[in-house]
Amino acid sequence: MFKEKTAKLGKGEIKYFVGGTGRPLIHLHGAGGVRPNAGLEALAENVTIYMPVLPGFDGTAEIAGIDSMETLADLVADFIDKEIGEAADVLGLSFGGWLAAWLAVRHPSKVGQLCMENPAGFRPKDAPAPSTDPETRMRQMYAYPERLPKETKSDKVIAKNLSMLGHYHGDTSFDEKLASQLGKIQCLTMIMHGTRDGRVPEEAVQFLKRDIPRSHLIYVYDAAHSMETDQPARFAHLVADFMERAEAFLVNQGTTSGRPQQVL
Amino acid sequence: MRFSYTHHMPYTGVTEAGQDWPVANKQFDPKLGVEMFQRYIEDKIYAEQAGFDWIGSNEHHFSPYGMMPNPNLVGAVLANRTKRAGILQSGNIIPITNPIRVAEEYAMLDVMSGGRLIAGFMRGIPHEYVAYNVSPDESYGRMAEAIALIKKAWSSPEPFGWEGEFYQFRAVSIWPRPVQQPYPRMMMSASSDASARLAAEAGSSAGFLRIVDFESTRQQIKVYMDRARECGWTPKADDVMIGMNCSIAPTYEEAKEILQAGQKYFFSVLGGGIRTAQQLVIQKTRYFKDKGAAEKFAKKATVQREASFDERVEQGLIVCGTPEMAIQQIQRIHRELGNGRMNLSVKIGNVADHHVTRTLDYLRDIVFPAVRQLGEENDPAQAAE
Repeated sequence: MFKEKTAKLGKGEIKYFVGGTGRPLIHLHGAGGVRPNAGLEALAENVTIYMPVLPGFDGTAEIAGIDSMETLADLVADFIDKEIGEAADVLGLSFGGWLAAWLAVRHPSKVGQLCMENPAGFRPKDAPAPSTDPETRMRQMYAYPERLPKETKSDKVIAKNLSMLGHYHGDTSFDEKLASQLGKIQCLTMIMHGTRDGRVPEEAVQFLKRDIPRSHLIYVYDAAHSMETDQPARFAHLVADFMERAEAFLVNQGTTSGRPQQVL
Repeated sequence: MRFSYTHHMPYTGVTEAGQDWPVANKQFDPKLGVEMFQRYIEDKIYAEQAGFDWIGSNEHHFSPYGMMPNPNLVGAVLANRTKRAGILQSGNIIPITNPIRVAEEYAMLDVMSGGRLIAGFMRGIPHEYVAYNVSPDESYGRMAEAIALIKKAWSSPEPFGWEGEFYQFRAVSIWPRPVQQPYPRMMMSASSDASARLAAEAGSSAGFLRIVDFESTRQQIKVYMDRARECGWTPKADDVMIGMNCSIAPTYEEAKEILQAGQKYFFSVLGGGIRTAQQLVIQKTRYFKDKGAAEKFAKKATVQREASFDERVEQGLIVCGTPEMAIQQIQRIHRELGNGRMNLSVKIGNVADHHVTRTLDYLRDIVFPAVRQLGEENDPAQAAE
């Protein structure tokens, strides 16, 4: 479904994947790199998803001078300019959600609507650090690990992906510089949090909801950190509805809309 | 030992045993209904004066079995007319109700009572699903999701939305928030393995309300305790509530005669239509997740039907007799199960209201003072393991 392409940007080339139908949506990946899945495939029925591979991830080369969240956000803004040519909606997962917030702060004219999916970068100092125990980490990441697509990346690539997080944000767990500028985000924003997410604490999403002016916080029930694979239908329905109807997504469309609506 | 007083508020003007479901309301006499409501409300308020720690109200539909389709209305009266007792809503039937409405009304009750709400989350008995046209197959799924949603509604300081399997809300911010933070104390039935685990996962106290013997109840308590520990918390004796019918009189024979007649009326007259719908639901749906739970439910009904009254008293399953006997029975239950809380139902079927008052007086004057110290420092797990 997703085709691989290359974008020539001012600072260098990056690989990206694109697929789907409808208005463009930039998907910024998390620590695992680009990983198409059932949630994204369902979402692609309503939007055209552009998934840039951020420099250094998934076996790609790093780009000189792109070594912070700010410069990475500038690179994504350039990608939007070159490949879309106008403001695009942006969806960021975990590390990608953090990056999406930087993009919205530094380049507000490039972002249509913003979705932050279990966003990293706002862990309060007194919140417990994410577990490093493999079994616990697995449970915090995946409510339904059996729904994960087969891993095709080598151990070496996976390890490099993880190391790239430090490359871009060091050991920061709460980005104070960005936090102080969240009020500048003017686009309509949806913050999504899995009710079983063990990686991003509740306080982080509450903080974002409080400080981003036009934001909505939505809990996705029975999803852990990997919301797109844990609850693909809920994820896709929610994002598509938010993108399509903007503020009006708060209003129930009734039973004639063809979309699932609750009875009670 | 702490005590809860639950009153179903039955309509006792029905005289014939019917089996139809739902029960035709042409048998309801409004004049009699007014008198009963006034009497029952006063009974509940009197329970506080009799020393009960909690006063319970529960939800039932389409039957003279109980006239409280919305127990929160009664809870509001109790919140206003009582000063000390906990307001136990035992509860709202969560899977058939809008969970946001439950969160809001419970928060109101908590504020109105100054933080005395005990928020009961019940799955209900099978016929309630027919009444509100909700699939019994979805019972457990709705219950678990609704509890998570209600807790979020109580505790989230920022507005939020919810994208779930059964419930979708895009903007929630309840007013008022509850007094008890982050949540009001909770009470859930733990009468099956699945519900015992769910109560533990929710961090709730647990009610074991239709017990058929001590051994199976001990096992049930163990399921609850084990799951709670897996979830990172340890329930206290006070979190384990055992439910019993209760009748106290100057002699065992008199107490027995009154309660036995009330139970007969309850099962044969008030319970007829309910059983009809119940059998349909249990046979035709997955109200119980597994066959074992359905068999356990059926066994409870059989035991209640087939064991003689005297046998059940002997087994310790009814609190009945003189005040001194009641003390011994409560002590025995605590010895066997390690509970720190009991729910006593005194108004069973058409038991006369003056006998209800007399039983409450015996409890206040003789029974409660003798058993108060039970369960104060005990760990129910010791009895269960």
